[in-house]
Parts: sequence; C-alpha cells; structure tokens
Amino acid sequence: MESRVPWYVWGAVAAVTSAMIGTHWDISWHRSIGRDTFWTPAHIAIHLCGVLAGISCGYLILSTTLKRDSPLRDCAVKMWGFRGPLGAFLSAWGGVAMLTSAPFDNWWHNAYGLDVEILSPPHMVLASGIFAVHAGALLLILGQMNRSEGSQRRRLRYLFLYVGGMILVCLTILQMEITSRSSMHTAHFYHLVALVAPPVLAGVARAAKFKWAATAVAAVYTVFVLLMSWILPLFPAVPKLGPVYFNTTQFTPPEFPILFIVPAFLLDLIWYRTRAWSLWLQAIVSGIVFIAALAIVQWPFADFLMTPAARNWIFGTKFFGYYVSPNSMYARYQFFPTEQPLWPEAGIAFGTAIVTMSLGLAWGNWMEKIRR
Amino acid sequence: MTRRAAILLAFLLPLSAHVGSPDIFFEGDAGPYHLLVTIRPPQVIPGVAEVEIRSTSAGVKQVRIVPLRLTRARQFAPAPDIATPSPGDPQFFTGSLWLMATGSWQVRITADGDRGPGEFSVPVPALATRVLGMDKAMAVLLAALGLLLCAGIVSIAGASVREAPLAPGEKPDPQRRRRSRMVMAAVALILAGIVYFANQWWGAEDGAYRLRVFKPLQLDASIAPGGKLLLKLQDPGWLNRRSDDLLPDHGHLIHLYVIRQPEMDRVMHLHPERGDADRFVQQLPDMPAGRYSLYGDIVHANGLAETAVGQIDIPTLAGQPLTGDDAEADAPPLSKADYNRIVSALSGGGRMLWDRGSAPLRARQPYLFRFRVEDPGGQPVQDMQLYMGMLGHAAFIRRDGSVFAHVHPSGSVPMPALQLTQPDNPHAAHNMMNMNSQALPAAVSFPYGFPKPGMYRIFVQVKHGGRIETGVFDALVEN
Repeated sequence: MESRVPWYVWGAVAAVTSAMIGTHWDISWHRSIGRDTFWTPAHIAIHLCGVLAGISCGYLILSTTLKRDSPLRDCAVKMWGFRGPLGAFLSAWGGVAMLTSAPFDNWWHNAYGLDVEILSPPHMVLASGIFAVHAGALLLILGQMNRSEGSQRRRLRYLFLYVGGMILVCLTILQMEITSRSSMHTAHFYHLVALVAPPVLAGVARAAKFKWAATAVAAVYTVFVLLMSWILPLFPAVPKLGPVYFNTTQFTPPEFPILFIVPAFLLDLIWYRTRAWSLWLQAIVSGIVFIAALAIVQWPFADFLMTPAARNWIFGTKFFGYYVSPNSMYARYQFFPTEQPLWPEAGIAFGTAIVTMSLGLAWGNWMEKIRR
Repeated sequence: MTRRAAILLAFLLPLSAHVGSPDIFFEGDAGPYHLLVTIRPPQVIPGVAEVEIRSTSAGVKQVRIVPLRLTRARQFAPAPDIATPSPGDPQFFTGSLWLMATGSWQVRITADGDRGPGEFSVPVPALATRVLGMDKAMAVLLAALGLLLCAGIVSIAGASVREAPLAPGEKPDPQRRRRSRMVMAAVALILAGIVYFANQWWGAEDGAYRLRVFKPLQLDASIAPGGKLLLKLQDPGWLNRRSDDLLPDHGHLIHLYVIRQPEMDRVMHLHPERGDADRFVQQLPDMPAGRYSLYGDIVHANGLAETAVGQIDIPTLAGQPLTGDDAEADAPPLSKADYNRIVSALSGGGRMLWDRGSAPLRARQPYLFRFRVEDPGGQPVQDMQLYMGMLGHAAFIRRDGSVFAHVHPSGSVPMPALQLTQPDNPHAAHNMMNMNSQALPAAVSFPYGFPKPGMYRIFVQVKHGGRIETGVFDALVEN
C-alpha cells in the first residue's frame, strides 16, 4: 500500500501556506510601514502561491494529458481536451485569476490611486484566485484521500484539515477590517462571521470523516493567527507614510484570533450524534449552536481585550497601525454601540449561520463523493 | 445698468494653485544651504509625488524628505526617505513620496552636510485631477482573461458533477452528463450575477472617485454702475470645501489677474475687496472694450491654494485710476509676439531685461527666470521696493489660456500656505519684508518650469521709485 503523500499535494499545501503568510505579512506591512513596492517579501510570498500552484498543477495536468501511462489518467476529469485531477484544474484557475489581478490592480492604482483597503475589485480577483488555490488544494487532497486507505489516507486527512484551517484563515482576512474588537459587542459582528466560518467548519468536517474535524480546523486557524500575531511584532518597522498617529516601531500583528474553537468543539460533538438527521435539521441546530456558543465566549472575551490586562504581546491589543486615529473608538478601547434593539440583527446572524451551515453541509456531502 | 456676462472657462484643466501647472517650484534656504526644489504631485490620490532638489550651496552630503499633513495637529513624522544623489551631479537629489489623502500637505526637506543640518517645508496640494480611461489593449487583455476565467469556472463546475465523483476508470452516464449541463448553466447564471454586481461595485467606486476629483472654484463676474467689477466665487461642488474661509496673502484675500483676450495686450493685477461672504468688488480703471480672462488666486484656511477662473465681456469703460497694490499695463499684441525679445520697455522710462540665455526652453524643466531693471540711462535702478512683500511677481500664461501660474521669487508656493508650515514663525512667509529697501537689488528671479510646450506670455511686475512696473516677454517652449 502506497503511504507517501504525492509531491503535488505538498506543492499545493506549500502554496496555500505561502499565500496566507504573505497576506498577513502584507497587511501588517501596510499597518506598520505603509509604503511598499511590488517586490516586497510579503508580495513575493503571496505570488509564490500562484507560481507554486501554477507549476505543480500545470505539470500535473500536462503530464496526465500527454502521458498515456500516467497513474492519474483513470482518475482524472476532462476539460477542454486536458486531463487531470479536479483540484488541479481549480488551483490552475486560481493561478490565472491571481495573474489577471496584477495588471488589473496596476491599472486600478493608476486610475483611482494607490489603494489602502482590502476590499477593492482587483483585490477581490486576487482573493478569488487565492481562494481557488486553497479550494483546489483541498479537492486535490480529497480526491487522493478518498481513493486511498491506511496510513496514506490518515496523512492526507491531516493535510486536508490543515488546508481547511487555512481556508478559514483566508476568509477571515477578508473580514479583518470590519470585525475588529470594537465591533464584538454588536450582533453585526456575529452576522459577518456567520458568513464565513460555518460553511468551512461544516464542509471540511463532513468530508474529513473525523470526529474532531471542526475543532482541528479551528485549531489550525487559531494557531496560525497566534503565530502571526506573536512573530510579526518581533521585527522592527517604522512608518514611511503620514500622518502618523501611533509611533510604530515594529510590525503590527493581526488581532487575537476569534474563539471559533469553542463552537467548533461543540459542533463536532453535535455532528457525531446527529449523523442520521436531515441536512436542514442539522443546519438549524448547528447554526444556532454556532452563534450562541461564539457569543457566549467572544462577548466577555472582548471585554477582557479592552482591559489593560490584554495590552501585552500575548493578546496584542497594545499594537496599532500607525494611521489609527487616537480619537477613534478602537484606539480608545471602546466598543461600537450595540444595536438597539439587538434582536433584528441577531436574528439575521442566526439565520445566516443556519443558511451557511446548510450550504457547508451540502458542500461536505458533495466532497465526500469526490474521487478524482 | 449692469451688464452680466460671466462665462465659465470649461476648457481649462481643473488644476489647483494655478491653472494647468501642477508642479511646485520653491527656492529657499535650509539652514546654510540654498536649495531649488521641484515637486511633481501625483494626479491621483493616494499617489506618488516626485521630488527633485538642487543645492546651489556646496557641501550638502545628504537630503531627507518626508510628507506631513499641513495643518493636522498631533501627528508624528514618518521615517524620512533619503533622497538619491545623482551619480553625475552630487548636488542634485531625487526622491518620491506617497501622498495618501486629499488635501494640504507639506514636504519637509532636511539637508545635512559640512555646515550642519538645515530644513524647511514646502506646501503641496494633494488633489486628484485626472479621470483615467482604460486603453484598448488593456481592455482587450482584461476582457480576454475575464472570459477565460468565466469559461474555466463553468467548465470546472461541469466536470465536478460529471466526472469527479466517479470511481477510477468509470465513464459518466447520460443522466450525469445532463446534470452536469444543468450545473454549468446554473453556475453561468450565478457568474452573470457576480459580473453584474462587480460592475455595479466598480461603477460605485468610480463615482466616489469622481466626487474626489478636484473642481476649482469659478469666478462669476459682472459690471456694476461706476465701473465696478463684481465677483462671486461659484462652487461647482467639491468635497466639503468652503468659499468663505480665505486666508489673506499680503493683506489681500484674492489676487486677481485680468487679461484682455485674445491678444493679451492689457493686463491688470488687482485685489478686490471682500463684500458679503464669497462676493468681491473692485473699482476698475479706464478699460478698452473686449473679452477679459480672470484668474483669481486664493488660499483656503487649510492652506489649500487654488485659482478661480472666469471670463467677462466689458464695454469701453470710464473708470478711476488704480490705487495701492493694484497695477495695470499695456502689452504688445500677442499676434506680434517676438519670442527672441529680451528687453521690455517700462512705462516710467526704464527697461526690464530678461537674462534668458541662448538655450531653448524645454517643458517640464525647472528654470530660474532672472530679470534686471535698468533706468533710462542703462544703469541698475537704485530705488527698488518690495511689491507686496516681494521683489516681484510673475505670471506665466499659455497662449490658449490652458496654463496660468502666479509665481513669486520664492517659487509657486502661496505665502499663507508657507506660513502654515512654520506656525511659530510669524515672518515665515515674508522674510523679504525685513530687508532694508535701500539695499534691494535691481534684479529678481523666479523658479518655474513650463508644464507643456507652446507659446507663453510672461508678465513680470516690480516696484521702484513708487511705481509698479510691468515687463512683458514671450517664450516659445519646446518639448
């Protein structure tokens, strides 16, 4: 029985890791130094993702197409005359999307100015490319995993959960600007995170067929963000743009990770006991549990983050981007006002979690069947 | 009877602090070092400003540059950039700076060398002035890549249903193929929705950007009985700018050039008095009939300078002689311009000479325009006086009116904005005021560079013997 993990899986795992390190590094760069060029190490790490995915998946597709004795030929999908694993096509698509975003972003800068925001159309093209590389890596591992047994399957499952965690990292980056600690006492915060976390937790957990899959995915997210938030401030950085309101002297870390691990643990317990339930019933229960459990731990934890006790390297609330206004609620450790009344937006948060949970479960059901 | 004939100069480029001449030229002393600075602001904000610094003093070893908001309090300075010395000219330095927000900025320049450090700041307006279209090649490239991506994701979705769940070697049955086509159609529909949403988003971003593109104030002009010029600042709407927050520049809220078109054969430098809010009034002198261009330089409270433009048709007018700082002059018709002429006769009997040199004038090159004033005997005048705190004022105007720049001996920077860079120094903007009039030289120079090729007229105004004199020169600028 083959127990080694195929080289192209390692290529895909390296690609997603490079993209997430690069993205967090780049955001920190913009919060600490401000000014950059295309050739910063952070940008290179991001685009290395596209290069790694493009080369490994491109080679995989070409070799499967051209070599009649390729072992993957029987377990490939066909597209436009090419053959290869489904995940390889999706990752290659992601590489092309990342490539497309470069001239688009350059034109955007010339037309509308050098952007300093995460959410812009060319950045969304780049993000969709990075996400596709992640999803492609997930499918690449999954196809191989669902065809294998024994130790290889076990190893591939670990990598599958790792990439699932990196997808959660990827999606939470998109929300970084709008889910700061100041927003954690609003129902809107829970509405926003309900858009991204439930489908990843449900989909990956369902496809992994592992009792603690959601917990593992949340743990990967938590450990990765913690490492970024502890390592980045070790390096010096000074702002090169003004106005400077915080005299930053080191790379500014991301915020402390959201406590997804608590609802993820509960979801694993629930899913273990509700396998026989209908998808919608599972989604309703899981969605409610996700929001309720997250709120129960995140709400008081946010209170703690606002206290002087959290202003240290562990929780990182002493760090600010150089441009943060000292008069802003964020800089003054204050919460945005809670919605009055709370329940309309809270209801939307619960509804969103139920819908995205059902989509995640359906995605997981589909992924369970992937063989190619 | 009041005749109202104000016409907006729609053809003028919407560039602030002068018209069609966005680059900033400044000459000053950073401690012991005399520097000539050129700053080329970006056309979109946030964007990159290019900075060129020439030291006319020896011994400068290093130049540091850093951008700061002009009036924002409680800010730290970002880490300065070290300007790069030219390999062939160690006294020439270049650098680039990011200006991140619309509004008034300053570039702080620190020179360090044999005689220790010295610094000054140059005000810089950061304004979006350009709406960029997408050229055809880029549009075709992006459309092709977009189509490839759309077709690719539809095909991947189809393959994910058709073959991905099959065991190795198994062929898809007709039902699976049919389901695959349905999924592809559904994904194509969703993609169409995403493309529609993305287009709406792009449109909204574009609309928000266009709101930020600078739109200068316009001068609405009319003539009142008694030969009075009535002016109103018309705001076409740009961000939260006000038109009643002007800072005085040498005691005047507005410095108005009135130039007869199309021959530019009569020029007036006037200083209308403020009426209500954003209205101004100016007593005119005797005026020949004609169409006159109006260029009004103003500075807002935040240090942002702009030139409000307008145009008015004036009938033959019997007015009153100008007084105070107001001045007028006749000039040779532009149709008879002599681009080699370096001598201009002055109304008081003397003459003004342009030390032009023989080299052709090039666009986008900084020059020091130097003029000398001589008495009728050909000797330098001994009675030069400051004219509104300056040795002189110069106006550079392109023949088609698309460029207008009012420049001082220190450069194109407005004095109130310069004052804001040194709020603790009440004389930052007019050190010349402290000079002993008896010691004033009979020569004046202006740092400036033409923004584009073409034919330009230059009006140079100085004061000597109690008279404000105007020299008129023409320049042919090559690419």
